[in-house]
This record gives sequence, C-alpha cells and structure tokens, in this order.
Amino acid sequence: MKVELRNIHKRFGKVHASNDIALTIPAGTIQGILGENGAGKSTLMKILSGFIQADSGEILLDDRQVSIKSPADAIQLGIGMLHQDPLDFPPMRLVDNFLLGHAGGLFPNHKEVAWDIQKLNAQFGFALDPEAYVDSLTVGERQQLEILRLLWLGARVLILDEPTTGISASQKTKLFETLRKLAEQGKTIIFVSHKLEDVDVLCHKVAVLTAGKLMGEMNPPFDQKKLVELMFGKEISLGERYSAAAEGATLTLRDLAVEDARLQLSNVNLELRAGEVVGLAGMEGSGQGLFIRACCGLLRPVHGKVTLNHLDLTGKSYHVYKQNGATFLPASRMEEGLVPGLTLTEHFILAEETQGVFINQERGLVLAEERIRSFNIRGTPTSVVESLSGGNQQRALLALLRTPLSLILLEHPTRGLDIESAIYIWGKLKERCKQGSSIVFASSDLEELLQYSDRVIVFYSGKSTPPLDARSLTAGKLGELIGGAGWDEWETEQSA
Amino acid sequence: MKKNIWINLGFQAGAFLLALLITTLILIFAGAPPLKAYGSILSGAFGSQKNLIAVLISWSPLLLTTAGVLITFAAGLWNIGIEGQMTLGAIFATWGLRLFQDTNVSPALIIAIGLLFGMAGGALWAALAGALKTFGGVNEIFGGLGLNFVATALTIYLVFGPWKRPGVGSMSGTKPFDEKLWLSTLPGTALSPWGIGLSILAVIVVFILLRGTYFGLKLKAVGKNMRSAFMLGVPTWQYSMFAFLLCGAFAGLAGAIQVEAVYHRLLPNISNGYGFLGLLVAMLINYQAIWVIPIAFFFAALNVGSIQLQIVHKMDSSFAGVLQDLLVLLILLGQGARERLLKKA
Amino acid sequence: MRKLFPRLAALALALMLVLSACGQAPAATEAPAAAPAATEAAPSEPFVFGVILIGARNDKGYSQAHYEAGLYVEQKIPGAKMLYLENVFSGSPSYPGQTTSQLASQLVDQGAKLIVFNSDDMKDEALKFAKENPNIYVIGASDDWTWKDGKTYTPSPNQIDIMGRMEYGKMMAGCAAALTSKTGKIGYLGPLINDETRRLAASAYLGAKHCWTEMLGKDASELQFKVTWIGFWFNIPGVTADPTQVADDFYNSGYDVVISGIDTTENIVEAKKMHDAGKEVWALPYDFKDNCNVAPDVCLGVPYFNWGPAYLATMKTAIDGTWQEGFQWNGPDWADINNPDTSAVGFVKGDALSAENSAKIDEFIAKLAGGLDLWTGPINLQDGTNYIADGKAATDAEVWYLPQLLEGMEGQSVPSN
Repeated sequence: MKVELRNIHKRFGKVHASNDIALTIPAGTIQGILGENGAGKSTLMKILSGFIQADSGEILLDDRQVSIKSPADAIQLGIGMLHQDPLDFPPMRLVDNFLLGHAGGLFPNHKEVAWDIQKLNAQFGFALDPEAYVDSLTVGERQQLEILRLLWLGARVLILDEPTTGISASQKTKLFETLRKLAEQGKTIIFVSHKLEDVDVLCHKVAVLTAGKLMGEMNPPFDQKKLVELMFGKEISLGERYSAAAEGATLTLRDLAVEDARLQLSNVNLELRAGEVVGLAGMEGSGQGLFIRACCGLLRPVHGKVTLNHLDLTGKSYHVYKQNGATFLPASRMEEGLVPGLTLTEHFILAEETQGVFINQERGLVLAEERIRSFNIRGTPTSVVESLSGGNQQRALLALLRTPLSLILLEHPTRGLDIESAIYIWGKLKERCKQGSSIVFASSDLEELLQYSDRVIVFYSGKSTPPLDARSLTAGKLGELIGGAGWDEWETEQSA
Repeated sequence: MKKNIWINLGFQAGAFLLALLITTLILIFAGAPPLKAYGSILSGAFGSQKNLIAVLISWSPLLLTTAGVLITFAAGLWNIGIEGQMTLGAIFATWGLRLFQDTNVSPALIIAIGLLFGMAGGALWAALAGALKTFGGVNEIFGGLGLNFVATALTIYLVFGPWKRPGVGSMSGTKPFDEKLWLSTLPGTALSPWGIGLSILAVIVVFILLRGTYFGLKLKAVGKNMRSAFMLGVPTWQYSMFAFLLCGAFAGLAGAIQVEAVYHRLLPNISNGYGFLGLLVAMLINYQAIWVIPIAFFFAALNVGSIQLQIVHKMDSSFAGVLQDLLVLLILLGQGARERLLKKA
Repeated sequence: MRKLFPRLAALALALMLVLSACGQAPAATEAPAAAPAATEAAPSEPFVFGVILIGARNDKGYSQAHYEAGLYVEQKIPGAKMLYLENVFSGSPSYPGQTTSQLASQLVDQGAKLIVFNSDDMKDEALKFAKENPNIYVIGASDDWTWKDGKTYTPSPNQIDIMGRMEYGKMMAGCAAALTSKTGKIGYLGPLINDETRRLAASAYLGAKHCWTEMLGKDASELQFKVTWIGFWFNIPGVTADPTQVADDFYNSGYDVVISGIDTTENIVEAKKMHDAGKEVWALPYDFKDNCNVAPDVCLGVPYFNWGPAYLATMKTAIDGTWQEGFQWNGPDWADINNPDTSAVGFVKGDALSAENSAKIDEFIAKLAGGLDLWTGPINLQDGTNYIADGKAATDAEVWYLPQLLEGMEGQSVPSN
C-alpha cells in the first residue's frame, strides 16, 4: 500500500515535534526513518498509527485521503505498529493475545486462531507456540508475535519502532529476512531506527528527521558520513578504545554454577582486574543474565564461590554486595533501575547514604543540580524520571552510582540510545575505570562489545567461553560463537 | 507544573459539582427540597455545639484510619484489612482494660495501657496481612478482606462467649466499663480531647514522614517500583512490613479510642466502616497528607449532618454515604479523564 | 498494567459502596406515612416527641409497632408531632461513631420534648440521656430502671419505663402451635438471650405445654420445644446467625411450627416457601398486628404489642405536668384483647388456624382472662432446680428475671462460656 504524508504538523506545548513533514512511501518499500532521540520519529509514527492525531496535515493511503483517529482505525485501514516495548499482555497465552485485539466475535474460536498462528509461523519460519504464555517469550519472540498478530489483523503497512534493540543477532537476521519477504509481497515497511548499520543493510530508502523536521532523504548506496551529518548536524567519531586494566582482582568467580528454571550455567571462572571491562556476548537468554546476577547476589549460586574485594560473599544478598561496592544496572531501566513518579532529586537522595531521619532538601537539590550538569541530563531536579528520554534515563542511572565503586555490572548499557548518548555513556564509564572500578556488561551490539571490552565472555545456551582477549577477536568470530559455531576447543575443556 | 495544578483543581472542582448535581437530583427524586436538605445537613453538623462535637467525635477515628492508609498507599499497598485492624485494636484495648480493671493499678495508667494494647493489636493484625503478602504471596486485598472477617468473628465470639455480660447473650456488646476507665471527655459529651489530640498528631506524623524523611522517601520508592527500590538499596519487604505495622497501629488506636471514649465496651461492628471511609478519603485527596484534616472533617460533618435528613425530611440516613461514594467515584473518574486529556493534548 | 489495577480496584470499591448505599435507599423514596391533618387546630405549641427505633419503621415487627404507636399518638393529641430515627443499634453502620444518646440530642435539637428509646439495646444510653437531659422526658420501652421491685432500680425522675405483658401473647402463640403441630415439635426462633427473651420463650412453652396436655390430653414428654438464638433482634449479616437459615433448619428437621421471637418475619416467609413446595408447616410471627398478611396460608396467629395507649397516656402526663417516674407492665384488656385503645398486648388469629383450634384458642384466652396463671408452680428450671414451688404463683420479679429456660425446653439458657 502506498503511504503519503502531506504537511503534517504536531506541537506539544512549545515543542514542534512534527514540522511540516511530507513523505511518500511507495508500496513494497522498506522505508528507513533515521534520527537521534527526540527527533520526532516516534511522534510521526504515532500519528500514522492513530495513537495521536496531527494538528494539521493529510494522510493518504493508495492516493485516498483517510482520517485516523485511533489505533483501531489504523489497523482497520491496514496500518499496524510495532512498539519499542511491545504492547502485549504478559500473563496470557499467545492465542488469547491474538483474540484480544480482534474486532467482533463474541465467542472466539481458539482452535482456528491457533491454526492461523501455525500457518503464519510456517510462512516466516518462526516457532511460536500458540499455547505458550507471552511472558515466557524473549523480546525477540514477542516482536515476532506482534508482527504475526498485526499481519493476522490485516496490516498492509508495518511500522517498526527501533526493532533491533534488545534482540539477538540471529533474531535480527531473521527479522530482516521477514521484512524483506513482506516487502516482496507488496507490504510497506517503515523502519524507525537510529542505527546506521541496520538502515544500511535493510532499507530501500531513508528519511532523516532532526528536531521535528525532515532534513532529507537518501537512496542506496547510503553515505554514512552524510547521514550522520544530517542526524547530528556534525560528524561524530567513535572514541578510542581504551584499556585501563590494572593489577589486583576486584571480583573472583571460582567454579561457579547458577541456574534458573530454563537454563543452567556451570564451571564459570573469572578473575576481574580493577579497571577492567569485560563484555558478555550472546543471544538473549543464553546465560549472560544468570552470570551477571550471580556476580551481585541477585541469584544464589548452586555451586562455587564469589569473592568481591577479597571478601567471600557467596550466597549473600544484593544489598551486601552493594555495601561492598558492587552495583548492577539492569536492562529495563524503568522496571529495575528508576522509580517512576519520583523526581531526579529524590533519586539522588535515595541513592546516597542515608543520613539521619530527615532529608536535607537543600543539599539534595544542590546534589541534583550538580549531577544533572556533570552528566548532561536533559531535565530539571524536579523532573520525574519517566518524563526523560531513554538516553537521559540511562545518564540518570549512571549519575546515581556512588563513588567509589569497585564493580559496575550493566545490561545493555546503550540499548535504544543514539550514537551521541552511547558515546557519552561510555565516556562516563571509562572515567570510572580510571578510578579503579571494574565493569562487566552484557550487550547484543557486537561493535560495542569489541570497542569497549578488554575481555569478552561469549555465552551460548548455558555454555560460556573463558574470558577472551578482545583484541584477538573479530566481529566475525564473535558472531560465529554467538551463533553456536566454533565452540569445539572449549567443549573438550569443559567436559574434562 | 503550575498549570497542571490548576487543571487538577479544576477537575476536582468539576467532579465535586457533578457529585453535588447528582445528589441534588436524588434529593429531588426522593421528594426533599434540595436547598432545605443541604441546609439541614449544615445545621445538623454545625448548628449547635453538641452537633459540632458529634462531628469531632466522628472525625477522630477517620483521621487515624486515613493517616494509616496514607502510609500503606505510599508503600503501594491496598490495606483493605484496616477495618479488621481497627477491630483488633478495640479487642486488644478491651482486653487490656479487663486485665487491669480489678487491680490496684491507677485508672489513668490502665487507660494508657488500653491504648497501647489497641495499637499493638492493630499492628499485629496488619503484620499478619503483611506476612501473608510478603511470605505467602497473598495479595493484601484478599488477605485483608479475610482478616476482616476473622476479626468480626473473633469479636462475636468474645461478645457472646468469654466476655459476655452475665446472663445475656446479645450482640449489644460487653458490659460497659466502669466510668473511671473511660478516656476523659469534655464534660457532658463523648468527645475526648486525648482522642482528638492523638488523631491530629497521627496526621502530622504521617505528613512529616512522607514529606521530609528518608523513611517516607524509601517507602514511596517501594510503593512506586519495588524492583527499582530494591536495586537502589532499599530493603523492600521490610519497608512494606513497616508500612503495615504503622497503619495497623493507627487503626488499632482508633479502635481503642472507640472503646475507651465512645462506646465504653466492645461490640461487633465497632470499626463502623471508618477504615473503608479512610480509604475513600485517601483516594479523594489523591494521597496528599496535607488535605487529610479538612476532607476528613468534611466527611465527618456529612456523616453527622445527614442524620437531619432522616429527622426532618424522612430520608434514609445512608444519604451521606451516597454523597461520599459519589464524590470519590467521580473524582477518580475525573482523574482518569484528566490523564487521558493531558496525554492527548 | 501495574497502575491500572489499583485504579480499577478503587473504582470497584467506590462503586460497590455506592451500590450498597443505594440498596438501602429505596426506603427513602417511599412517601412518608401521611401525618394526620390535626396540626391546624393545634394548640399554640405543638408537642413534639422523638422515637428512636432499633430497626426500620417498616420492619413488619417490633419497630413498626412502635412507629404506628407514634402515629396513634399524633392522631389522638392535636398538634403532636413525631420525629424518628431508624436502625439505631450498637455499631449501626448508619450512624458511625454516634452513640444513641447523641442521636437523641439531635431529635431534641429539632424540638422533641420527649424521647422514646424503643429497645433494651439502648437501655444504658436511655438512662444516661435521662440523667444528662433532666428537662426532657424519657420513655424506656422494655427497660426496668424505674421499677422499684426491679434488680437495677435507679431513680430517674424524668423517665418512665413501659413494657407490655407479652407473656400472655406468647402463651397464646405456644398454644396455637401445640394444637396445630402434627409432629409435636415446635421451634422457637429466638433473638439474643436476656431476661426478657428467656421469659417470653418460656411463656410460649408454658402455653404450648398447657394446650398439649390439657386440651389435647397428650403427654408432656411427647412435646418437643426447641429455642435457637440468632444473637440479636434481627439479622445483621456476618454478625448474627441468619434467621432464614435457622427457620429452614427447623422446618427441615421435623419442626412443623416455628414461633418467632425476633423483630422480623423470616420464619413466616420461610414457612410460606416450604408450604408452596408442598410441606405441611406453619408459623407464628411476632410484634406487629398485621403480620399474618405476609403469608396468610401458613399463619396461625400473631401476638403483638400495642404501645399506643400507654404512650398516649404517658405523653398526656408530660403535657399536663402530672408526669410520674415509674415502671408500667401493661397487660391485655381481657374484655377485648385486640382493642386498639385499651389493650397493650393482643393476639390476632391467622387463616391457617383450623376452625376447631380457633375455638380452642378462644377457650384458652377465656381461661387466661378468668385468672388461669401458667406461671404457677411447680416450675423447674432447665437444669432441674425448682424455681417456683408447687401451688405458688410466681411474682412479677420472678417472671421478669427468669434466670434460665424451663425444664422441658431445649436450647441455651445463658450463652455458653
């Protein structure tokens, strides 16, 4: 279906989030929408998918002007949107999730729907079990589910908002394959991202948004440099790889074994040096999560020993680890990091040592202002954290870290952030390393892993490599390992 | 921010007016001239010193239960069990008085013991709900409801069983305590300055706790996002438990005051719906402690004033309840509508 | 999701409360019973009196009997005006935190010069109110404070305590039950346990036993008479036992007649249901004279209070200043026990009473009128001890303060420990 936007305007108070946007996307096209955080990508897509309405402007589908007042209108017209955080209903079965958004039919036919899901599965090579519960799915699987659901509802235009964050490399490959197949079928794909490399390999054409304006469009081959300039108005280069590894172990893992309901991880050994950065690679749910949680007392190891700063903390709780200088920033910032409804100032007060009974509000304010400045957070001391953009939330989380710290554990530290923010975040982390903190981070971004790690541990369905020197690794090699190839040399070692 | 406050106030006022409109329609439908009816409520609440005192008597337990649920709400907990906690407070207070009434302990001390027993009883009952939630995974709403039933059953057992009046088996309650064990009241009234004083103190304590202390901030963090609070180093289940205990102690004190100052005995239903009413007040004021004092007073005045509707206009006395519930309902709906509108704007 | 649940719960809670409050509201929309138009010819200052009812004024029971007595007074005294409050009992959800004496004050604020406290549940509060308001007259229905022979005599100059000799009514009810029962098993749906309820249940038993042995010539040991107490004058869900359930249990376990001792009509309502389902059962409601109308086909009769005459007489003394503190225990007018102007206690026979038994009841009433006193010894208490010696008639105090049920009756005498 051909999609055409004409003179779209949308203001939020003083912010002109969509400023005279005009864009035509022919049927069968994969259209990339690039822009840094806050550039107006999401606003535009929400207008198209009926979540919000434009102040003025026209939307034409196949040259017919339409009015989209709600997501239901949108899906009726064949427009489906995949959100950055898929809007599903966790504690229910896939079939029910399908039926929920389905218009009409008082008595839903489960069997038929399950059959439809299987058919769609076969078409795209997915393996979703209609009877499984949605909350048991990985982020990638939820995304697949959402695509199937939208297609099942009759979507002919699919909007994907940052779809490659939080999914594994192989899931990404599969996603791209699926999108190409859909485009061949004549469906229109709108791919919103800030990742140049994704846009590069996938899109048929790209539009760049900055501060609510359409800065320009480009056809392949894409000139990355030019795109970056369009996005940021200047050229940005990645920072130098920096290794501050000094001697002396911060964290020691001895023959560690941990498990949860789905996965077992055993025989893990690590001696983490002060100032060192260790990256954890692997597909979502391959064991990095277990590993990182075992390092800070959130998971009790079934076997082995965890030593932090020469103290045996095996089996102790997270709060004991925290008292001894370890801290963990999980991937889900708003669920396991920040407290929605509380202001930045309140967060800084909470994160600092409790002093007495009463809070010194003035000192809190000073602290907040200082941190906001030094971490370049776009917000005020009284901003509630949910009003911040993803990048600023991540900066706030980093700003919450106490000094000194001996161990910082992170999951996807730059997921969903634009390049500028990502570079900034790593700059701050590297400062910590210089001060002697060790960092362990999990990421699905190969470049990030190779760029910032001193050593990398690769996980594959509950197996882990010994820490590998990052300098000896290439993206290709890493990709292979993540995909489960080339493990022979450690297979024997582990079984021995 | 400032603009939001005004929009907020506008919505509250709108909801209030709408509630007033609906109740006016109900009044007309019931055959009572609305203006006169409202006049009756006003004069019933403030028309005489006696009436004003009746309002204050009703105000005191409402302050305590509202103060209590503000704590649990801050911790993200729906302490529906507050009725039972108040009941247990009454039972424990009665127990305390009974233990010492025939001893040489000075009456003032016995009265104080009764109040402390009441607080302990309420806290104990709240701790049970908290333990069920923390260690048993039972949602506090269901645990609380269950414990409310158990508390009522326990009162009935005591009133008809071990603590019955000699030769009597009636729901009317236990034998009234000797006058020396009554919490001192203003002469000729059932208004206890102690009761009012403690209740206001409770509100002030809660206000300060939630506004300016680490305890309050951590409680709020737990209430808004337990996982994040834990990651920020807050001992989360302990704080939930604290919230339950504190709320239970306030509710228990309310129950003890009902025993020592109002009824002078234990009777079934002694919590009188004050706990639920406290939940409503808390919702109505959007969990802002600063509003407890006036709004609880307003509710108490409605309670007392609407008795006149029955006397003068032969209406059912549940009218006050209808107006209160309508108010809360409409204000909650208004908040929902406001959020929707603001999101769209 | 996480935020939605509490909000939904809040709405549900508020909605629930509104609905429950509205559920009670219909009483309000009923047109108030029309007051007589006598007010126009009223003397300069109308006499206003307040009645505090333990139940609803239309409960088809105890409270309605009082309410109608008030209407009777309004009719008889030109310009008299009744104010009332309903559902006033300990811990009543209608008046959170309000004590009964506070509520009485509210009536005084509206001009009431005299307050009727209609139940024993308000006994302490009535006395307290009388003490605190020496200028207001107080009638304590069913109280005994001002009875000089009473156990708790307390001088209270502005108070008069009034009770009807319902013992007779209960005897008639017991008699009708015994005459009609085919199984010889009579159930008594008791309220709470105190002196009054013990003596009334015992009176019903004495009437039943008398008619069973004397009129039917059967052996007393073949008569089963069981009392089950619900714990209060009427059903309070979750607090009292459910009278509907208790009545059902009686009927389902062979008790074919149930006599009510409570303020409301569950026994006859249930009997009607059973009757319609083909069971041969009967009921005797209580308190209010028209109660057989609830279900005439199962009603054997109703013993009722007629408070009007006593209220009228007492209030007249309040108006003309001849008020005398004291206690009245008023019996039926034996010339016509159903005379609305003279008899304090009456008995209306029900349609379900056979012609033959109706005649026997008339015969029994005539015997009572002629001086038959069933409270004559030997009377043994439930535990077997002799209470009234052989040939001796019980004194009023012995009847009033009956400490236990009687020998031959099943059921609790005093609540168990």
